[in-house]
Amino acid sequence: MNIVIIGNSAAGIGALEAFRKWDRESSVTIVSDETASLYSRCLLSYYLADDIARSRLTFRARDFHKRLNAKVILGHRVESVDPSKQLVICDNGSRLGYDRLLIATGGSAKLPPNIPIDVGGIYVLRTLADAEVIRKHIRPGGKAVVLGGGLVGMKAAFALRKRGMEVTVVVRSPFVLSQMIDAGAARIVMAKLKEYGILVLTGADVVGVESTKGYISAVKIERVDSKESRIDDQSQPCDLMIVAKGVKPNMDLVSRATVQCNRGIVTNSKMRTSVENIYAAGDVAETYDIATGQRSVNALWTCAMQQGRIAGTNMAGKDKEYDGSVGMNSINFPGVDLISFGVVRPKQDEGYEVCVDERGGDRIYKKVVLKDGKIKGLVLVNKIDNAGVLLSLLGRKVDVTEFKTELLRDDFTYGRVLGSCAAAEYLRYVKASQSTEG
Amino acid sequence: MREVFCRIDRCLACRSCEIACAIVHSQSGELVKALREEPLPNHRVTVLKVDDNGRKVRMRSVALQCRQCLEPACVDACFAGGVVKDEITGLVRFDRDRCVGCWSCTMVCTFGAIVRVRDAKVAVKCDRCEDREQPACVAACPTAALVFCEPEEFEALLASTDIAILRESN
Repeated sequence: MNIVIIGNSAAGIGALEAFRKWDRESSVTIVSDETASLYSRCLLSYYLADDIARSRLTFRARDFHKRLNAKVILGHRVESVDPSKQLVICDNGSRLGYDRLLIATGGSAKLPPNIPIDVGGIYVLRTLADAEVIRKHIRPGGKAVVLGGGLVGMKAAFALRKRGMEVTVVVRSPFVLSQMIDAGAARIVMAKLKEYGILVLTGADVVGVESTKGYISAVKIERVDSKESRIDDQSQPCDLMIVAKGVKPNMDLVSRATVQCNRGIVTNSKMRTSVENIYAAGDVAETYDIATGQRSVNALWTCAMQQGRIAGTNMAGKDKEYDGSVGMNSINFPGVDLISFGVVRPKQDEGYEVCVDERGGDRIYKKVVLKDGKIKGLVLVNKIDNAGVLLSLLGRKVDVTEFKTELLRDDFTYGRVLGSCAAAEYLRYVKASQSTEG
Repeated sequence: MREVFCRIDRCLACRSCEIACAIVHSQSGELVKALREEPLPNHRVTVLKVDDNGRKVRMRSVALQCRQCLEPACVDACFAGGVVKDEITGLVRFDRDRCVGCWSCTMVCTFGAIVRVRDAKVAVKCDRCEDREQPACVAACPTAALVFCEPEEFEALLASTDIAILRESN
């Protein structure tokens, strides 16, 4: 059998590992448009901050592909897929036939139309090449603007601040990390950002860029009120701007007429697309979201790895189900350890129940979101040790009615789950190292 | 593969396991010296209350450590490649040198068995005392609540004890 995997990051690597568990014989080819191999995207901000050396960016051993007997084609983009002939066509015209194909092409940074990305000093942070060029432009005392306050934007902001730059984060929403926290957690986060010397402009957007000799010199920042009407403009000097407005799936290689696409490439619970023998996983794939019950693209490392493993197992002829993804994030910076997942800011009158513990004042914040007796979302600030226990209860859709008032207590641990769901849970505990449910 | 299991009918929450674990993971390996070490050594087994509001099992406790899961969520979550499942020994191994302290493993561990060493920004967990004949927690347990055996053996043990009460519930 000929296996082709497009993409050499979490989903592609997870798929290769899982596939080889079952099939040592088939030929496997991995194609990636990047020349750097086996580096971890999530570590790039640590590299920017000088927290780690470049050599530590790799997340698998150097001989990884060789050991797993996979051929690697680097620096070539797959232009298109021809499902009728079972071929992928690369940018150099070469064709690869496949019996089973995995599309793990990931995503690309979104670019707002008014940002001239070809102007020097304006970058996105997605690839190692991006990180290298940003590193060249970091100057202690220089002025940096980060457009977007999501996970990537905030990690970039901390890295640049740590390297001695003056950092301004520009966000449209009333606080940063608005996809993963609520106003209560934001109070702590925003205060700590200020302490760390990062300026956050909320309700604001970069609407223009000034440049001299092809290099950025200032940004024009527009502030808007809650109804999105303009309050004022101001110009601010800027030596380096990072655009972090989220990612979009790289799905141009498939024709929407043949492969069903929505927000991402639509997959079923086997990680298969609408077309026979074509699978998709990672940031390009749309999956069922366990927390929201909707279909969505959860472009996250953990989800990509899990989806890759499911895809790889099924491509090897096994039958493995994916329960679905959950939006989940862990971020930490001086004074804040934060974990959140699932539905964080539920809409009113949709039957959600919210419990909040703010007794920790300006340091600790906990919130759990429930519906029909089941956990749907969580935010934990600075008391995060049992986050995984709660995530597991969400993922397994366990009815927590009996102990829902205890979920946010500091002494809530796995022991409480064991006590309440005794027999079944004790068996899970005993069998974790044996069964695939672990 | 032998693993460490806890009989919740026997655990007295005396925390001998926690102390023994901290000692074997200290620099000196001795209690008195370990108490003076900076940073203080961490224990990777933790005694937890098994509380069901007194309905079935009453107040009991369990000494819990990493379950060395067959499909560990922490392996998938670690974007630094610092967690590896050793297919031969069954151990889930944490590589201290790769850890960047992002706590993604904490985010996904079903059992809450990850220990965060916050000053060092590094995550640690039970290594099942790989180099010892018997894990230190098991050797230290005064009531033989902690046992080191095959999962099937432990299941058989459960069936023959009053933990069987757990099997009737739920």
